[in-house]
Order: sequence, then C-alpha cells, then structure tokens
Amino acid sequence: MIFGFIFRRLTYLVVVVLLITLATYFIFFAGNAGDLAARFAGHAAGPQAIADTEIRLGLNHGFWYQYWHYLIGLAHGSFGLDFQNQLPVISEIARAFPVTASLVVGAAILWLLIGIPIGIMSAVHPRTKRDRAGTLFALTFLSMPTFVLGVLALLVFYFYLTEAGLHWFPASGYVGLSQSPAQWFVHLILPWFTLALVQAAVYTRLIRSSLLDTLGEDYIRTARAKGLPRRVVIYKHGLRAALTPIITQLGIDVGTLLAGAVVTERIFGLTGLGELSLSALFNGDLPVVAAVVLLAAVFIVVMNTLVDIVYALLDPRVRVR
Amino acid sequence: MSANAAEMLRGVDANSPLEDEELAVEGRTPLRLAWTRLRRDKVSMVALGFVVFICLVALFAPVLTALIGHGPNIQYSNTGLSIYGHPVGPSRAFLLGTDDLGRDVLSRLIYGARVSLEVGVGATAMALVLGLAFGLVSGYYGGPIDALIARFMDIMLAFPVLLFALALVARFGASLTLIILVVAFFQWPLIGRLVRGQVISLREREFVEAARAVGASDLRIMLVEILPNLIALAVVYATLLIPVNIVLEATLSYLGLGIQQPTASWGNMISEAQNGDLYTIAWWVLVFPCVSLFLTTLAFNLFGDGLRDALDPRHGRSNLTGTVGK
Repeated sequence: MIFGFIFRRLTYLVVVVLLITLATYFIFFAGNAGDLAARFAGHAAGPQAIADTEIRLGLNHGFWYQYWHYLIGLAHGSFGLDFQNQLPVISEIARAFPVTASLVVGAAILWLLIGIPIGIMSAVHPRTKRDRAGTLFALTFLSMPTFVLGVLALLVFYFYLTEAGLHWFPASGYVGLSQSPAQWFVHLILPWFTLALVQAAVYTRLIRSSLLDTLGEDYIRTARAKGLPRRVVIYKHGLRAALTPIITQLGIDVGTLLAGAVVTERIFGLTGLGELSLSALFNGDLPVVAAVVLLAAVFIVVMNTLVDIVYALLDPRVRVR
Repeated sequence: MSANAAEMLRGVDANSPLEDEELAVEGRTPLRLAWTRLRRDKVSMVALGFVVFICLVALFAPVLTALIGHGPNIQYSNTGLSIYGHPVGPSRAFLLGTDDLGRDVLSRLIYGARVSLEVGVGATAMALVLGLAFGLVSGYYGGPIDALIARFMDIMLAFPVLLFALALVARFGASLTLIILVVAFFQWPLIGRLVRGQVISLREREFVEAARAVGASDLRIMLVEILPNLIALAVVYATLLIPVNIVLEATLSYLGLGIQQPTASWGNMISEAQNGDLYTIAWWVLVFPCVSLFLTTLAFNLFGDGLRDALDPRHGRSNLTGTVGK
C-alpha cells in the first residue's frame, strides 16, 4: 500500500513537472526568439554575430526540439547553461538556494511562534477583548501587502533609525552563515519579520477557527467531565487535532516560498532564488526561469506529500482510507 | 430553497436599506436575517462605507481631479518642484505633495484606485465565472470528467503563480487587460475547488432528486436548482478574493511588470518612491500609496469577513491568501 502511495505521488510529480516546464517553454517561444539572440549578442552585434548567438544558444531549433533537448538534459540531471554567461544553471541555483532557505526557514519559525500563540489565545477566549485583539492583528497584517510592510520597515527601522544615529539594521544585502553568523543574523532580521508577520496572520486565523471547532467536540467535553485540568485538555487533546490544517498550510507555504520569496528578496536585496528568477525573467534567460519554476513545482508537490505522511502519523483515521 | 438564495444575492448586491424595509413586510428571509446581523456589526458597516467610498472615488476620478485642478500625469515643474528640483511636501496647493517629476500625488492616488479596482473586481469576476462553471460541471457529473477537472485544478495550484504571472507579462508586454486575464487565470481553481466540494454534497440532496424525478435536464438542475445555493458562498469568496487580486496587481506593478508609467498605480507609485531612495527626502511619496493600498485591502477583508459571518455564522474561514506576492 505504501508503495502504491509513493508510486502515485511520483507519477503525479512527473506529470506536474512536465506540464510546468512545457508551459514555461511555451510562453517563452510564443514570442520572437530572434530578438533574444540579438539581446544576448550584445549592443554592437552585426547580423552575423546575432546569427552565431542564435546557434550558440540553440534558439534556431524549433520549440519541440528545444523542449525535447531540455528533457533529455533533465534526465541526465542537468538544467543546461544559462544564456547570459553560459554557466551551468545548477551552480547559480546552488549559490542562490542557501539565501532563500535562510530567509524562509527563519521566517517560518518566527511566523509559527507569533501566529500560533495568538490564535490559541483567540480560540480559548472567544468573543472577548483578547480575541478581538487577535483578530485585529490578523486582519491588519492579512491586509498588508508584503512589499508595503517591507518598504515601511525600511523607512522606519533603517532610514529613521540611521538618521537618529542608531545603525542597528543594514539597508540590504546578505552575508553567508559560514562567513559571519552575527552579520547573517543582523541582515536577515528585517526580511524575517516582513515575511513572518504577513504569514503569521494567516496562521492566527487558521488555528483560531480550527481550535474553536475542536474544542466544541464531544471528546473534549468528556475529557473535561472526567476532571482533567483545562490546560491539559486544551493543549494535549485540543491542539493535537487542531494542528492538521496548520501542517497543510505550512507545507504549501514553505514549498512555495523555497522557490523564491520574490518580493521580500527584491526589497532587501537578498540574492536568492526569487531575485535570480526575477532578473532572469527581465533578461529572457529561459534556462534559469525554467529551472526555478521546475524547482518550485517540485517543492510544492514534495511538501504536499510530506504533509500527507505527517497527517497519517498525527491522525490514525487518515490511514484507513 | 433556491428562491431564498436568489433573494440573498439580490440583497447582498444591493445592500440598500430601502429594499430592506420592503422585505420586512414579507417576513424573515435568510437575507433579512443576514442583513440584520450585518447591520449590527459596526466594523463591517464602516468597512462597507470605505469600500463604497473607494468605488466612488475610482468611478468619479476625472471629476475629482478636475475639482483638484491637477491632472494625474501632468508635471508641474514650476509649482510642483522645489528650487532644487525636489518634490514638495503636502501643502495647500498639493494636498498630499508631489512626486519626483512634480506630479500631484493625490491625483495619482485617485487614478490608482481606478486601476486597483479594475483589476480587483474584473479579475475576481472572471475567476468567479470560470470557477463556478468548472466547479459545477466537475462536482455534478463526477466520474472521469470530475477526475480530469479536479486534477487539472490541482496542477494549476501547484504552479508558482507569481513567477508565471511575471513570465507572461514579461513576454507579452504589460497591459491592463493582460494583467486581469493572468490574475483570473491563476485564481479560478481556488473558487473551482470550493464550488466542487459544495456541489458534491448538494447533488445528493432531496430537492435535486425531486427535480430529477420530474424530468429536469442536467443543465436545468445545475443552473436552476444548484447554482442559487452556491451564490452566498460565491459572494463571500469574491469579496475576499478582490483584495488578494488588488495586492497581486500592486505587486506586479511594484516589481515593474504591471501597470507602466506614466499611468498611475499604487504599486508603481511605491516602487517609484523607493527608486533612488526618494522616500528618504519625501516620505509622502511612499506613505500615501501604502496607506491607500492597506486601507482598501483592509476594508474589503473586514467586509468580506463580516459578510461571511452574517450569511453563515458557523462557516470557518478557508485561506485564499496563500503565498502570492510574498
């Protein structure tokens, strides 16, 4: 049975990746590939140089030939060479991934630490002042586009503080964890909070409604009736069941963001996957775009699969199906 | 049952207290109950007021800017810039200041509201129609058709939305129509999935069985019997999807792949404020578009939330926001 599950998931993954790369190639070739050759050939390139570039980048072949070639490359574990510098795409991704991973993992820890307690507080004291404060928090940040929060954070915590003589936060940039852990941390504080506050709002809403539903169940009343302390009932019985939607959401969010938190990376000048794909998009660098998009799909499907496995571990009823 | 739901739609759309008084004579329909609940909710009513206000601003943008006396794209290089060529701050001449080209920020905000609502409402309406159509067909017929559509929606949701939106806009050039189409194209599976779930439970209900027994066609059952029961759900999610789409447009414009200068959009105004650290000498070019965007999104979210509670107090909030635009 478990093999069947894994097999189905793998098939699904392959189909999704095929469709997504196909769509990427389709969008790319729907325009005029000749313009691209001209762009990568350089400013002063003559017709001959452009034609050479077209051949060097493989743009002279048709859509299906290119796509087939790309798939064969993938099967050999290669994402190809980028158009801009003719370097292996995989090395660029390997360089950018730690940046995005640092951002997303740190932010995920932060948004769980902020979102879950506020959600629990709201659910345990429904329709009180505390609940309303929690809802206000959630709706405020739910309505705050990430880039608005990010630029306002820069204005207040970078510009005004620096103007006041407090050089607490750098404007932008990324420092590797292995280079200087302290600098790594300082450079990521504002990006972490920017990403985490917006996300925490979603989790606050989720845990509130999920825990409220759970606390209304019969087995919770039974637990209370047999004299268990309120704390034990809420945290041991209630929270465990209420966590399942949180895990689904966490899987989707982390999966999607690992392929690049485009906006947050752009605002804070972090050279992660999002920034990589954005500049590749502006340049029309197909191999890079295709690789990031493919990675995104793989992350999403893999995270969904992990979520299903965690479900089965948390909730024995799931296994029966 | 379906008549009541149709009543709901009319009421939710109109939201007019006049119609409310007329209905009072007829008795307490679900709409009447919902409207009473909604009206008691002060926060929702304030939010509704703001939504109406923004809609009016967008609708009468040319009139308002004519009253102010400053066009949105006109560069007032004599009055709108200081002697050093810097933007001037909020003053009597320019209520919310000017930007780096000496354009009136208030006029640009007013026209920006237009863009935001065009994308927010336009894309949501399209996503809603597509989502309802596919969700209905998928949920009602079941079997291979359902498997195909449901799988397709799943795959659509595995697409990195922002990247694909960016890729499409980068390839075909940014235009308002394309942005609306792209946003709608990636949002409809969210609605489709919700609708499908509802339809699967509705099609087993007695009133559908009754309609089938008297020989109603599939199309009639879908449109006349089932669809009206989906309207409440659809209206609520549409209200909650509008702010998501407004943010998506603003994000695209912020990244430079949405509405292009000189046309004003809140997103490209914010991006311009950050350009060359302009906001460090002129906070108003950054703060006012941010506040407009935030208040509009907040108002839609609060109203949508209240509307959902009023229409169905037991229904939990599912998450439509996702990670788009992070």
